[in-house]
Amino acid sequence: MSDLVVADLVAGYGDARVLHGVSFTVREGEVCAILGPNGAGKTTLLRALSGVVRVRGTVTLGGTTLAGRSPDTIARHGVAHVPEGRGTFMPLTVEENLRLGAYVRRGGAEVEEDLGRIYTYFPVLKTRLKQAAGSLSGGEQQMLALGRALMLRPRLLLLDEPSLGLAPLVTRELFRIVQAINAEERTTVVVVEQNAHLALGIAQQAHVLETGRIVLSGTAAEIRADEQVAQSYLGYRV
Amino acid sequence: MSATKVVTEPAPVRERRPPDPRWRWAGLALLLAAAVYAPFQLVPFHVFQLTMVLVYAVALLGLNLLVGHAGQISLGHGAFFAVGAYSGAILLDRWDLPYPLTLPVAAGVAFVLGLALGVPAMRLRGLYLALVTLAIAIFLVPLLKRFEAVTGGSMGLTLAKPAPPGWSGLAEDQWLYFLTLIVTVAAFLLAAGLLRSRVGRALHALRDNETAAEVMGVRLSFYKTLAFAWSAMFAGAAGCVYTWVIGFVSPDSFTVNLSITLLAGLVVGGLGSLSGPVLGGLFVMFVPSISQDVNDAAPGVIFGLLIIVVMYVAPTGLAGLAARLAGRLVKKIPRKE
Repeated sequence: MSDLVVADLVAGYGDARVLHGVSFTVREGEVCAILGPNGAGKTTLLRALSGVVRVRGTVTLGGTTLAGRSPDTIARHGVAHVPEGRGTFMPLTVEENLRLGAYVRRGGAEVEEDLGRIYTYFPVLKTRLKQAAGSLSGGEQQMLALGRALMLRPRLLLLDEPSLGLAPLVTRELFRIVQAINAEERTTVVVVEQNAHLALGIAQQAHVLETGRIVLSGTAAEIRADEQVAQSYLGYRV
Repeated sequence: MSATKVVTEPAPVRERRPPDPRWRWAGLALLLAAAVYAPFQLVPFHVFQLTMVLVYAVALLGLNLLVGHAGQISLGHGAFFAVGAYSGAILLDRWDLPYPLTLPVAAGVAFVLGLALGVPAMRLRGLYLALVTLAIAIFLVPLLKRFEAVTGGSMGLTLAKPAPPGWSGLAEDQWLYFLTLIVTVAAFLLAAGLLRSRVGRALHALRDNETAAEVMGVRLSFYKTLAFAWSAMFAGAAGCVYTWVIGFVSPDSFTVNLSITLLAGLVVGGLGSLSGPVLGGLFVMFVPSISQDVNDAAPGVIFGLLIIVVMYVAPTGLAGLAARLAGRLVKKIPRKE
């Protein structure tokens, strides 16, 4: 059992508190979508889970406490965070970026094997291995970011706005791959997304965040059927 | 209707083919051969100048690790250089240590000091870090003068230079040159090995995106401190070799000016490349004296102007410029398929 349990999570920047007691659980192997308007605290929530911002409250993954630990320790516990804006190491090559993803694993044959696995998910990366990552297109960089996160062999994958700035076709492809990864690797995924339609398409559970609080939770189908959500985030009535 | 046709085909990407690695090895071998041959062809003063270029190159190699690869800044590297130089000098002066032993000790002392001064780097960045490191360079000179009993105060310490052993048949300047060359080659191999490893990737990651590096498990505080320590270690080793070569240390050789000249030399030479420190060493050694020749009254002005010109012509430093020119040259040579 490797569930993610979040309880009474409080986080912010300096004096500005962003999250006011967020609680939810994601079962192992499930995809959880976090929806909400700009400034609701979605990105901060992911940053709190990966330890980039200081938190109060409870965060456990498979019983191990993550709250209050440093980002590198949390990464060692198998949490991979694809940050907002992808966090590409521009001057490094695609391959170096991918190898950095396996940084906590100290190399070895398994890493080489995983590189091969990444290329099957993202064939385009294989053709660009020696190229500077900064020269990739936005979509390719997002794929690189996702591939890099997978190199950690994560138990929990945190995705921050994977669709940001990408063409709809590329976005759909990306979500298809996330779904495949979730299905094949049994990786638990928490995805923050503006494109509620796509996110609900791959999620089992969803939560709507508003000004630092969860205002609505349910299965993806329930959230999709909710009139309020439909109006605010899906742009149509069911 | 053909006028409304929208061009959706992306422009073909012009593949920048990396030059054959064999060219690089050939170039390195040629450079090393020239470095071994040179002292037998030059007059002693020029051999001395070349030796100093190598000394500065080792110091810049360390600074490059910190600035070019780990993305931190130091305006106080002259201080680590001085600590290495004085460590070597005091060991020779007080304890009569055989000179090869002074090198690891001097490097070690600088390493520890770098570790201690790397602590502010964990919290400070950019201009704030620059100020703290600058302060280190500023207070070093009065400190050296203050502890006169050990450092010789403003008079400094005068030492015997390492004498060439009889079997070598070398003159003193040539012997010193080869000693320095050995240290330089060892330092470059060490740095190259370091950068190729997982550690090197971690340094690059924290330089390019701290948050992304952190969430991948790179411990920022650890690597920042370590980058400072390594970088200080190289500077300290260079300082120690400086003592061997000059046979004299005094506080006025290690003013704030040295720290700033080192940083300028590195930027002009080329940040983040392995050849940058050598080109920077040439710059640090020759440009101040050339500017003295051009205009006796204001060498600083000429020095500054030269920096501006180089940065304008070659924003990636002389190393970047050299790589571009070499790339063009290699392209002209037909490639065997």
